Amino acid sequence: MRRKGRKIMTLKKISKADVLELLECCAKTWKTYVPLETEGKDILFSLLPTSGSELKEALGKVNLNDERVIISPKDIFFPQLDDMFYFDKDKIKENVEPPAKKLIFGVKPCDAKAINFVDEFFKRNFEDIYYLSRTKDRLIVVIGCITPPRPDACFCTSAKTGPFANDGYDLQLVDIGDEYLVEVGSSEGENFINSYSDFFKDAQEEKLVKAQVVKSQAAKNVKLKVDFQKALEIMKGNKDLEENYKRISERCIYCGGCVYVCPTCTCFNVFDEKKDGNGIRRKNWDACVFEGYTREASGHNPRDKKVQRTARRYEHKLKYDHSVTGSSGCTACGRCLTSCPVEIGMSKFIQEITEDKKGA
Amino acid sequence: MKNEYLPYKAIIKSIQKESFDTNTYKVVFSDEKIRNSFDYKQGQFAEVSILGIGEAPISITSSPTRKGYLEFTIRGAGCLTKKIHQLNVGDSLYVRGPYGNAFPYEEIKGKNIYFIAGGIGLPPLRSLINIIMDNREEFGNVKILYGAKTPDELCFKQELEMWKKIPNTEVWLTVDKSYGDWKHNVGVVTELWKKTDVCSKNAVAFVCGPPIMIKFVVMKLIESGFKNKDIIMTLERYMKCGIGKCGHCNVGEKFVCVDGPVFTYEEIGKIPAKERAI
Ligand SMILES: Cc1cc2nc3c(=O)[nH]c(=O)nc-3n(C[C@H](O)[C@H](O)[C@H](O)COP(=O)(O)OP(=O)(O)OC[C@H]3O[C@@H](n4cnc5c(N)ncnc54)[C@H](O)[C@@H]3O)c2cc1C
Ligand code: FES
Repeated sequence: MRRKGRKIMTLKKISKADVLELLECCAKTWKTYVPLETEGKDILFSLLPTSGSELKEALGKVNLNDERVIISPKDIFFPQLDDMFYFDKDKIKENVEPPAKKLIFGVKPCDAKAINFVDEFFKRNFEDIYYLSRTKDRLIVVIGCITPPRPDACFCTSAKTGPFANDGYDLQLVDIGDEYLVEVGSSEGENFINSYSDFFKDAQEEKLVKAQVVKSQAAKNVKLKVDFQKALEIMKGNKDLEENYKRISERCIYCGGCVYVCPTCTCFNVFDEKKDGNGIRRKNWDACVFEGYTREASGHNPRDKKVQRTARRYEHKLKYDHSVTGSSGCTACGRCLTSCPVEIGMSKFIQEITEDKKGA
Repeated sequence: MKNEYLPYKAIIKSIQKESFDTNTYKVVFSDEKIRNSFDYKQGQFAEVSILGIGEAPISITSSPTRKGYLEFTIRGAGCLTKKIHQLNVGDSLYVRGPYGNAFPYEEIKGKNIYFIAGGIGLPPLRSLINIIMDNREEFGNVKILYGAKTPDELCFKQELEMWKKIPNTEVWLTVDKSYGDWKHNVGVVTELWKKTDVCSKNAVAFVCGPPIMIKFVVMKLIESGFKNKDIIMTLERYMKCGIGKCGHCNVGEKFVCVDGPVFTYEEIGKIPAKERAI
C-alpha cells in the first residue's frame, strides 16, 4: 500500500444503497471483513461468508454507522490465538495462512493508523511470518467518522489520527449524505475501483466542497480534547511521574482489558498443547500489566510491583514507541477508557500529567 | 520469508553432569544443511525446546571455533528444563536461533581480560573463554573469578583445571559454603579481590550471574578503576520469542533478546532505573 494520499483522474462516489451489494460481490473473491453486529449487539470485525443464505444473513448485520467496534481489526492479522505449527513425535507441520486477497471494509481512521503501525513492528528486526503472511494482498477501506463512535473517549483530533485519515488507506469513504465520496490512497485502491466500476460512479467537483464541510464538522464533533503533544514532551523529559503512576496503580485491577482492546498492543505468549503425542505450538495475546509477564524461572521478577507495570504501559505507548518509530503507540481510539472497569484510560492519564483539571 | 518460530531437531550426543541440578548437553542437528548453516557468535543464545512442553532461551556455551555441534549447560529450574534433565543420549531436542547480540571479540584483542561469574553465569561466558583460549596469544592476561554456593555447584570443573594450566591465565574459585576437601576460597566473589590483583589498565571485565552478584561486582570493578564501557554483562529476562516480537523481555525501548543480552554497563546506565532491575 502506498502511504501518501494521491490524486485520482476522475472523482468517484458510491451510493450508500449500493454498499451491501458491493460487499456481496466482493465476498465471492475477497476474504471480506466488515463490522458485523453480534447477537449481543456488540460490533466486531468479522469475515463474511462467501455465498448463499449465510452471506445474505450476514449482510443484514453489517453496521457501518454506529461503529463502536469493540476490538480493533488487529485480530485479523494477529489473532488472539494463533496455531503456529502442529507436531507429532517426529514431524513438524507449519501452519502459515496461505496468501489470500483480503478486503477490510469500514476501518476507522485511528484503527488504520494502528494497522500500519503494527505492520511496521512485525517487520522490524526479525520478520514475523504469521503476521506478515496475513497482510499480503490486503485492501483497507476506511470510513471516516462523522461523529465519534465513543463520544466520551475518542480524542483523535488531539493526536491527529482522525476523524479522517490523511494516509495509510487504499480507499477512504467520506459520508456526504446518501452517498460516500471516494478518496484513493494507493494504486491498489484505484484498481479496486476499476474492477467494481458498476458501483463507483463519477462525481461532480462540488462534492469535494461538501466533503470538506463534512470533515471539518466531523472534527468539531470530537468533544474530548487533550494536550497530546505536551504529553509526549513530558514523557520524553525528566519529569518524575511516579506519583501519577502510583495513583493509577492503586485503582487499576490489572485485568489486562485495556491491552486486549488496544489496537497497537502486540505482546503474546508462546505455549504448547499436547494430547496423545500430537500437539500444537501456539501464540496467544499476553499483557504487560500481568505480574507473571516478566517473572523469570528463578522467581526473580524485574517488574514485580504494580506501579512498575503501570509505568511500563504508559511509557511504552507515549515514550518508547515514539522514540523508536517517531509515532506514539496511542492512536487515541479511546477503547482503553471505555473498556476499563475503574475508568482509567490514556486520555485521563494525559489530562493528569499535563495538569488539565478534567484529569483522573 | 523465513519462519523464525520453527525449531530444528538436534540429537543429544553426550551429557556431562556439572552439578546436582545442572548438565551440559552436546547436540548435533539432524539436518546437515542446518548443521552447516547454523553460524553463531560468542554470547548468543538459542531457543531450546521439547515439543509439547515448551521453549526456553539457553546460552550457546560451545565456541564458534569448534564446529559441527552445539553445547548447552542447563539448570533444571522449571517445567521444561527439568524435563530436559530426564532425556538421555540419543534423544532429541528442538533448537532455533542463534539470537541476540554477542560479546565483543575483535575489539578486545590485546587486552587483559577478567571473567567474573556466579553459579550458572559461567556457561554464557564459556563460549568467549574458549575462543580466547583457542587464540591465546592474541590476548593479554586472563583471570577467571568464579563463585558458587557450594563446591558441587561449580560448572566445568575439568575445564577450570585446564584453563588454569594455560600461561598467563589464572582461575580463582570461591564458594559460599565449603565442605569436603575444598582447597580454595570461602566467601562471595568480591572476596577474591583480596587474593588477586584486579587492575583496570588495558582491561575489560565480563560479568555474568544473579542480579545481586552483578550489582556488587560492578561496584567493586568501578572502585578498581574500570570505566562503565569496559564492564560487559548479560541481562536476563523472561523470554518467549527471542526475536523482538512477544515483548516479554523489553526494558526501556530495548528488547533484551535482540539488542542484548550483552550490554556494557554504560548502556545499562541509559536504561531507565526502574526498568534496570540490577
Ligand atoms: C538470554 C538467556 C540465556 C540463558 N541461558 C541459560 C543457560 O545457559 N542455562 C540455563 O540453565 N538457563 C539459562 N537461562 C535461563 C532459562 O531460560 C530459564 O531457566 C528457563 O526459561 C526455565 O524454563 P522452564 O520452563 O524450565 O521453567 P518454568 O517452568 O518457566 O519456570 C518454573 C520455575 O519458575 C519459577 N516460578 C514459576 N512460577 C512461579 C510463581 N508463581 N512464583 C514464583 N516462582 C515461580 C519457579 O522457580 C519454577 O521452578 C537463560 C535465560 C536467558 C534470558
Ligand atoms: S523474547 Fe520476545 S521480545 Fe524478546
